[in-house]
Amino acid sequence: MAARPDSEDIAMDDAPTSHQPEVKDDAMVDDEGLDVDENENGNEYDEEEEEEEVQRIKLLPGSTETAASFEFTNEGHTLGNALRYFIMRNPDVEFCGHAIPHPSEPKMNVRIQTFEGTTAIEALEKGLRDIQELCDVVTDKFVAAATDFDKKKAATA
Amino acid sequence: MDYDPMAMDDAESLGPVVKISQADSVRVKFELQNADISFANSLRRVMLAEIPTIAIDLVEIESNSSVLADEFIAHRLGLIPLNAEGVEHLLYSRDCDCEEYCEHCSVKLTLHAKCTGYENMSVSARDLVPVGDRMNQNLGTPVINDKDGTGPLILKLRPEQEIKLECIAKKGIAKEHAKWAPSAAIGFEYDPHNKLRHLDLWYETDPKTEWPPSEYAKWEEPPVEGEPFDFDAVPNHFYYNVETAGNLPPDGIVAEGIKVIQQKLAGLIHELTEGEGEGGYEGPRSPDYNSGPDTGYGYSTSYGGNGGNQSAWGGGGGGTTPFGNQTSYGGGGWS
Repeated sequence: MAARPDSEDIAMDDAPTSHQPEVKDDAMVDDEGLDVDENENGNEYDEEEEEEEVQRIKLLPGSTETAASFEFTNEGHTLGNALRYFIMRNPDVEFCGHAIPHPSEPKMNVRIQTFEGTTAIEALEKGLRDIQELCDVVTDKFVAAATDFDKKKAATA
Repeated sequence: MDYDPMAMDDAESLGPVVKISQADSVRVKFELQNADISFANSLRRVMLAEIPTIAIDLVEIESNSSVLADEFIAHRLGLIPLNAEGVEHLLYSRDCDCEEYCEHCSVKLTLHAKCTGYENMSVSARDLVPVGDRMNQNLGTPVINDKDGTGPLILKLRPEQEIKLECIAKKGIAKEHAKWAPSAAIGFEYDPHNKLRHLDLWYETDPKTEWPPSEYAKWEEPPVEGEPFDFDAVPNHFYYNVETAGNLPPDGIVAEGIKVIQQKLAGLIHELTEGEGEGGYEGPRSPDYNSGPDTGYGYSTSYGGNGGNQSAWGGGGGGTTPFGNQTSYGGGGWS
């Protein structure tokens, strides 16, 4: 984490102990409409450490229904760029971008912001399905072209 | 393709077109039309790095009196293309139930050669013998395409020198190690006349004479002299030249490439739809997720003033000291 800019030297006693609120007070409830189960400090290590299949899509903090960031594990520009393009084609999507935050981490982030009426997760799913559909068509076309090519070759030979 | 009418004004809505211009046992040249460059590049990247094949991964050397070091030979063995027919039925070793390797996740090959004559002897891929049970009779067999029928040379032996070893070939992808690459090379090209100016061609005096036209130049309309630059133009024709290393047929590489993309997508869609409601939001997240918009990025403290730059000890504007905006030298701050 970046250091706080312009911070002065301060006495130890005055320093904030932690960035994390120790007691959760009511003013700080999740107001983003997402179904979130609390992940208290520390208990993320108790459950499922390398047990189940690794979760490959994560919703990053600060996400709302219509504006969300996703973190994909073990994906790169191969999927990222195509996905970005296909999500951006969706007229209900206001913005979509992708990034690989650091080249030595196998992670890819996708940011989606949609207009009202759809959610970022729906847009993501539609994007994935659109690429799938295109893949189907390209496979069909390629197979057709290959058989066509073989026929022509056999005819001339 | 089922797209919204809003987006129906571009070439992509016509649906993709594939044309094959040349195909034989080592290469396939084809053109992909009406697809976006992002998809075309995905296909290229997937064919380069993510198609599973089989290659030698473990080598147990029993005796080696050749002039080459053990690890040097092991490296050379890894790079020998092996037939990957039916590799989709082979398990990845890490997913297999066995201890180290078994016939469900590997193919065993042996090499035993001794130079008994008076002249130096060549040991080549032909001398690698697959042993044990296999998925089919071709999986893991060294690829031999040269006219002598020997395959790639592994090492040479002087009289009385001997090499004896056992190899375990495993399934893998080229992202992990290039020895699993199915393609020797993938040509990828678009816009042969550089109408889109994606290239800035270096030249001595005249780029037209110094840069010979690509073989695809005659497939597209040459630019008209004095034609204004089209700012809306996007690449729409992509020329691939997929050359196989011998382990998969060239058209098989293309088909497998699309399949790998499909599997990737299917896996992600599965996770996305299955985890909806609860599972999708699990996993580690920073503890300040719920602590309000102010602290969302973790840079401000709970002492939070208006902006992230302020401390509880500071005054108004950015970068203030306890002395206010003025220094003891009496200046007026930033002016």
